Amino acid sequence: MAQFAPLLRKDDKPVRYLVVDDSVFARKNIIKMIELFGGEVAGEAGDGLTAIAEFKRTAPDIVLMDITMPQMEGIEAVERIVRQHPDARIVMVSSVGYQENILAALQKGAKHFVQKPVKPEVLYEILRYVLADDPTAAGAPVALAGEHRS
Amino acid sequence: MKKQPEDRGSELRALFFESANELLQALNEAGLELEARPTDEEVIRSIRRAVHTLKGDSAACGFHKLSEIAHELEDVLSPQVGKAKGAGLAEIVLAAADTFEAMLSSYQREVEPPPVEGLRAMIRGLLAPSEKNSAEQAVAASDEAQFDWSEYERLMISEALHRGETVYNVALRIDSNSVMRAAAFQLIRNVLHGCGTVIALRPEDNAAAATVEIVEAALASNSPEAQLRQRCKIPSIVSEVWMERATAADSADHELLGELLEAQAEKIAAATADHDEANAASKSANPNSVAATIAESILRVDAARIDAVMNLVGELIIGKSMLHRALTEFDKTHSRDPLRAKMADALAFQSRVLDELHKSVLKIRMVPVEQLFRRFPRVVRDVAKHCGKDVALEITGQNTDLDKGILDALAEPLTHIVRNAVDHGVEPADERLAAQKPVRGTVSLRAYHQGTQFVLEIKDDGRGIDLDRVRKHAVKTGLMKQTDVDRLPESEVLNLIFEPGFTTASEVTEVSGRGVGMDVVRTVLDRLKGTVHVFTQLGKGTTIQLRAPLTLASIQTLLFRVGGRLFAVPLSSVVEITRVTDMEIYRVDQREVLRLRDQILTLVRLNKLDRIHAVETPEKKKKNFVIVIGAAERRFGLLVDQMVGEEELVIKALPGELVASDLVSGASILGDGTVVLILNVPAVLSRLSRATPLGAIA
Repeated sequence: MAQFAPLLRKDDKPVRYLVVDDSVFARKNIIKMIELFGGEVAGEAGDGLTAIAEFKRTAPDIVLMDITMPQMEGIEAVERIVRQHPDARIVMVSSVGYQENILAALQKGAKHFVQKPVKPEVLYEILRYVLADDPTAAGAPVALAGEHRS
Repeated sequence: MKKQPEDRGSELRALFFESANELLQALNEAGLELEARPTDEEVIRSIRRAVHTLKGDSAACGFHKLSEIAHELEDVLSPQVGKAKGAGLAEIVLAAADTFEAMLSSYQREVEPPPVEGLRAMIRGLLAPSEKNSAEQAVAASDEAQFDWSEYERLMISEALHRGETVYNVALRIDSNSVMRAAAFQLIRNVLHGCGTVIALRPEDNAAAATVEIVEAALASNSPEAQLRQRCKIPSIVSEVWMERATAADSADHELLGELLEAQAEKIAAATADHDEANAASKSANPNSVAATIAESILRVDAARIDAVMNLVGELIIGKSMLHRALTEFDKTHSRDPLRAKMADALAFQSRVLDELHKSVLKIRMVPVEQLFRRFPRVVRDVAKHCGKDVALEITGQNTDLDKGILDALAEPLTHIVRNAVDHGVEPADERLAAQKPVRGTVSLRAYHQGTQFVLEIKDDGRGIDLDRVRKHAVKTGLMKQTDVDRLPESEVLNLIFEPGFTTASEVTEVSGRGVGMDVVRTVLDRLKGTVHVFTQLGKGTTIQLRAPLTLASIQTLLFRVGGRLFAVPLSSVVEITRVTDMEIYRVDQREVLRLRDQILTLVRLNKLDRIHAVETPEKKKKNFVIVIGAAERRFGLLVDQMVGEEELVIKALPGELVASDLVSGASILGDGTVVLILNVPAVLSRLSRATPLGAIA
């Protein structure tokens, strides 16, 4: 696999991720990439409900969220998390067939989406972009640090 | 009845091949158009549509190789590629049409399709550089962005400017790898809203976003431009960002709302005018575009089925004629029978319906000659390119109707003649310049009706046919002896080119002169009961005229007798019928003429014309019938002994050896079995004009 410059928070600590997917294999796959990017896994969840609980417990920098899961779908989880934490950065992970769901998730406040099968270089760019949104993050060019939001 | 699956499959395939051929035709036409206007987005779109349909259809029929290559082509067809590649794209489209055609024919013959690597390489070659060259693309994006904001949006922009905000016109190209367009658009929307106030956005909703490539927005924001650019460059969603500051000129002042409205109205008016102009342009450029739009209600029927109906209608007409005669005889013996009137009524009704039926069936068979003509722009282009010549094709009379069977039969001879015209007729550029002709040669196709004949002229402004060369060649190829050739009159020399194996091309080229020459043309026309004429002028050009009967079916005729023999003329060429006494007939210049309402009319006695073996009238009658016949602008009077009546005749063409005269175009059989000869009006006219001084025929 290609080498990636580590994505770091502004305080130079590793970015902390919450990985949500009902498939253990998919989670492991994502986690491998996260580690490749110099990140740290704050928590894992196999369904929406657990994801909400884990978000509260770990307060991750980024959530990677699957769309289709048992008990609570990704969209609902996004909605609930964003309602409580408007600054949460959630990236949806899904296959092409779920465009409607991704659309809904984006409307509920997800920051980005990545298509399955996930390619590391694509995910890397997306994470870099999403992290740059945060004034406290440092993975992005400095010029973006003071971005104004209206 | 339920069809066997394989049966249905084969029917589906037959349908596929038929429609695929039409698609190829469309592709060819569009390719040529693209060559002329490489940046025309509409043309590229139409090519894309054709390729797309072909892709889908071929996949449905299981022709995957074709489907795949069509898919690859479809992918690269975009206005940007058109702009970047210009005529190169047209070249590929035409090459693709050829490859597709070869593949289709392989599929049709159920053999392995030819390799497509050549085409694939061309397609990929098209794609590679344009992907690398992002600067080029950036230009394209800004070109495509219109920022065509509504009046309200302009007001909003101007308000924001008044507040001291910076307004940007932003255009974002959605990454072509992004499959989920609606989601991509939603994300762009989220990002734009995160950057500032979105005043205007195109497209306006997610549904419309599925098909767009460029998202346009007017964005008011106080963030630095560089930062906005950074935000808008959304990875895996946006491939290109284009941004400029909106100025007051783009917007409107509050007080100037009236002016704004006016400007808007002007713009709309201009747009409508543009639209009309574009419409007119597209009409003149592509006369079949109208046909294309109405093509949806067209039903495909096997020509053989129509022929069967046609034959039955022909039989019915003969049957009607038999009934008519029976009724006439019945009339004589039972003139008072009340049944007679009933029968006459029924017969009249039947014949009216039959008439309509006949016309309708005829119309089914008649197709505009355009169907045949439209392949020629490509033929001319290819041959001209091959010979390194610049040749324009002019087409007139493409709406002339012609029987489908005749049209199909004419396809091969016409192709041959047109190729000849380009290859041999039109001279190379230097020769043309030396002869003080425009470098660009012209080949024109012209179709029109003349009486009951269909005339097709192929004219070129080339070097003409050198009769001396024809003579020499005839001797060289052993067609004739030198002594015989020398004795031949010029008109006969010209006819030599129709001899089998005759070709004057000094070298055999790929496109023409393959030894199967003009003899094919004549064979086909003979079969159709048509004729071929060649008119040539050395150094000026050659015109080849093909004449064929309009239809193989029946015509309304007027029956008359001359010297005891029954003749018919097409009713359409009869102007009027009048009666004259011998006293009214004058002799002028060895011609009999008649003064008819202050007009001088040349009279013709059929028995005086060549080879019409009508017996001389036994006694001089006081009164004669004169049928005034007109073709084009010319008229003559036919002196006849007896009028017989109108009759609908199913023309039976006569084999050449049966008719010694070209004055008769065919024969028909009446209900009672009598044979009628049908007069060939144009031939009579031309005979007249040759035999009399100019102007004698008024």
